[in-house]
This record gives sequence, C-alpha cells and structure tokens, in this order.
Amino acid sequence: MGRLKGKVAIVGIGEVPTGRFPDRAAIFHAVESARLAIKDAGINKDLIDFVMPTAALYSPQFNTELVTCRIAEELGLRNAKTNCQIFAGGSSGSCFLKLGGSIIETGIANYVLCVHADRLGTGVTAQGGIDLFSTAGISAEWEVPFGQHYSAIAGLTTTRYKYETGCTDEQLAAVCVSNRKWAELNPNAFFRKPLTIEEVLASKMLSTPLRAKQSNMLFDGGSALIITSAERAAEITEKPVYLLGESGRVTHFVFSQEPDLTRFGWAEAAKEAFGEAGITPNDVDVAEIYDSYPIYQVIGMEELGFCRRGEAGEMYLKGDTWPGGRLPTTTNGGMLSQGHTGAGGGVALLVEAVRQLMGKAGQRQAPDAKIAVETGTGGTYMDAQVTILGTVIP
Amino acid sequence: MDRPKKPAPIVNDWARPFWEAARQGKLTIQQCKDCKKPIFYPRLCCPHCFSEDIHWIEASGKATVYSYTVVENNAPSAFIADMPYVVAVVRLEEGVQMLSNIVGCDPYEVKCDMPVQVTFEKLDEEFTLPKFKPI
Repeated sequence: MGRLKGKVAIVGIGEVPTGRFPDRAAIFHAVESARLAIKDAGINKDLIDFVMPTAALYSPQFNTELVTCRIAEELGLRNAKTNCQIFAGGSSGSCFLKLGGSIIETGIANYVLCVHADRLGTGVTAQGGIDLFSTAGISAEWEVPFGQHYSAIAGLTTTRYKYETGCTDEQLAAVCVSNRKWAELNPNAFFRKPLTIEEVLASKMLSTPLRAKQSNMLFDGGSALIITSAERAAEITEKPVYLLGESGRVTHFVFSQEPDLTRFGWAEAAKEAFGEAGITPNDVDVAEIYDSYPIYQVIGMEELGFCRRGEAGEMYLKGDTWPGGRLPTTTNGGMLSQGHTGAGGGVALLVEAVRQLMGKAGQRQAPDAKIAVETGTGGTYMDAQVTILGTVIP
Repeated sequence: MDRPKKPAPIVNDWARPFWEAARQGKLTIQQCKDCKKPIFYPRLCCPHCFSEDIHWIEASGKATVYSYTVVENNAPSAFIADMPYVVAVVRLEEGVQMLSNIVGCDPYEVKCDMPVQVTFEKLDEEFTLPKFKPI
C-alpha cells in the first residue's frame, strides 16, 4: 500500500525546447531546465537541498558531470546536502516521484530538484544513434548477435499485437497523427507541421510493420521539476500538484523473455496506482501515455483501462485523444512529435502532466484538468510505471 | 569500406555450456531438478524456485514463431548488409522463449505461430548461433 498519497507535491517545472542545437553544450539543457523550474516554483534557490539528476547516454563525460554535482555548482545551490543520480531509462520520470517523494516524506530533504538533460540529437550521428540503441538495454549475449535494435523491438510487439487484436496500420498511424496535433500547439516540440495518416503509411519501412514516421527520433533537450511536501506546497503555490498514486511492475531485462509482448505489466501496476489514488480511469482528465512507438501508446491506453483491449486504435483514429477530445492524451506530442531525449522522453511526459494540472499548458490546455495519469517504461519496455497526479486529493 | 564485424555474444560463465553445445550443433536449455521447470536463458539458479540444483537438457529444436519482424531499413551497422532479415521471438516446445533469426525462406513468408526448427549458423571459430527455419 502506498504511503505517499497527498503527502508530496510538485511545485515547479522547467523545460527547454527539444531539437538539434549544435552550439549548445549538454549542460545548458540541464542548468536552464533546472533554473526555469526554480523560477516556476517561485522559491529561493538555496532551499533546494537534494539534487536528483537522471543519467545521460550520449557521453560518459557529461554523465559524470551530472553525477559529480555540476548542476548544484552551476546554479550555486549552497544548501544542497546530496546530489544522487536516479536512472531507470524511460521510467526515470516516474521514479523521480517515488524516490524524491519518499525522501521528502521521511524528512531527508525539503526540496528535491529532479533534472534530465541529454544531447542525443547533435551529440551522436544518425547511424551512431541506431548503433547506440542496438546495444543500450539489449542483451549482449542473447539479442545483440541477432541484429536486435529498437525498431525491430517495436516491430515485434506490433506484429503480435495486430495478430491477436486485428488492430490496423491505419489505427497505429492515427496515434502519430494524434500526437502531432498536440505538438502543433507545443512550442517545445520539434515536429510541429500537421501530419496525415497517408503520410505516415507512405514513409519508409523500418522493421515491418513499423514505418519511419512511426519511430521516435533522438534530439537534444532537458526538463526539470521540484518536489516538496504537501504542507510546504500549500504555502508557496495556489495549485500544488499532489502525488495521488503510483505503482509499477518489472517484467524483463531481455526483451524476448517478456511473457506477453502485447500486454506487459501495465494492468497490475495501474490497478494498484488507481487503487491508491481511490479513483478509476473515468476520473482522469489527461492521460500522458508513454509512446516512443505508437504500439506502446495503444497498449498502455488499453491496459490502464481507458478502453477494452483492441479498442484504443479507434480512439486515436476518431479523435477521442486529440485536442478537444474526451481524453486528451500525450499532450506534449510525445517522443513521436516532441522528440526523444533519452530518459527525458519520460520526464517530459511527467512535466507535461504537471503543466496541464497547473493550468500552464497554453494553447493545448485541457479544460479544467484536475487528475492526470502518467506512464513510463525503460529499456526494452522492461517495466511498467504508472503515476497518478491531481490538484485535488480524492 | 570494411563492413563492421558481427557482434559475438558476450558470454556469462554459467552460459558457456550453451555455446559449447551450439558449436556442436545442439540446442540446450536448463531444467530445474526441484521444480522441473525449463529455464532459458541460462541462469545461476532457478528463477522459478531459486533452487541451485539445475541441469542441462537438449531441446528438440522444435518451436513456433511467437512474433517476428522483417528489418528493411535502419539496421545496426553490422547487419546492414543482411537486410532484409527476420528477427523473431520463438517459443520452444519445451516452453521457453528466445530471440533468433528465421532463415532459409522468403522473409515475407514468416507468420505468427508458424512451426520452425532449429538450424545452426557458424559466426566464427568460437561461436555458432542457433537460428530457425520453417519446417
């Protein structure tokens, strides 16, 4: 049983645009995101007593800077007691809240600054990115020798899911279109031009049935958030965003060991997270469902209980998930349209969930958003992390 | 331009018997002597009941395709020359899953739940990879 419901809150968020910035050192994305989060919280920087960066993949040198307190020094965080890296790949954002929240609730820290930054857009070449992601998180003994890589992984999931449910290529393309409609309204997104199903289905085949415009692309970027106790949050902001529920499941390391490639651990994690929050999927105003490839956004939607199995594709196609739809979904455009920044793809979704609940989402603001769900998964979809946030405590 | 060398498996000590057998054209998996469950990939102890009493058995080599994909573009450097190639998750009849390639057929003839049989492809003097072909 979770013990953090209503006890901790996010009080500030920061984000820099996702894109290709050859002239910006990676540390820019970290320091600027963190600075914006501190300003957004409206607190004195010297209240931050715990700095929690994720890992960066593009360079061991930069990653070591994150480990060895560069963010604290660059920002002059004089009262930082601890700088400690938290890394769970794409579920790092979800883990920020569990761990940062626990550190707050136990009194180890008062204000935790969580930061992600990476430079996968300009720090590695296109083929270098493919090669990096043919080894990162992929078993060097049991999968790398067979030409495994992330497009193939998405292809494997999609093939079996289509076989079992009858989901169509058009429905899967509709996920990309839905995310793009949100990205058109997101100044921090890289892809902002309208996209059609026809364009998605005409794009280059990567690993059947996955096409190029159904694949995320790697970019530079960063985002940050600040966690504190619910009591302090109520003092410094009118709209604290409370952690209401969380849970997760670890299901594999080696992708081919996943017992069900069409479900993963989402249903169990979601049942527990919704149970802790004391709500059902019907109560959710905004769903920030982890994408990276459309199939995972479809499976996430269904396994969380927003529709029956095999029906999510139709929700994306009909517009339920679009701006103005009944369930605004992945409203920053996701990794498919905002862009994939490594662990940051998941952190950006968490930041977007908070942004929507704070009412700061500008043109893409979901009306009267009080409850949001965010999902994250790392590696080769090795885990299923579900987080529920709200401005009210049910 | 030289093609990058195919990546060889980075082997754990307790998996060496698997690769030794594969070099001799045999597909082996582990089985727990206590709970009797089949185990793949090789483990130090049984992932089901934590028993240390595990032994090696030869698998029949019969499997079905659980899922597959044909890699047509954007392969890792060492595999670009192989495109199009099939990556598949197969389910051995003993009840374990593994990743492999489907070979010996038109890549576009591969289907889910299709029966396949192990075949061995020599990678180098040290390693032979178990792959699968349609029956």
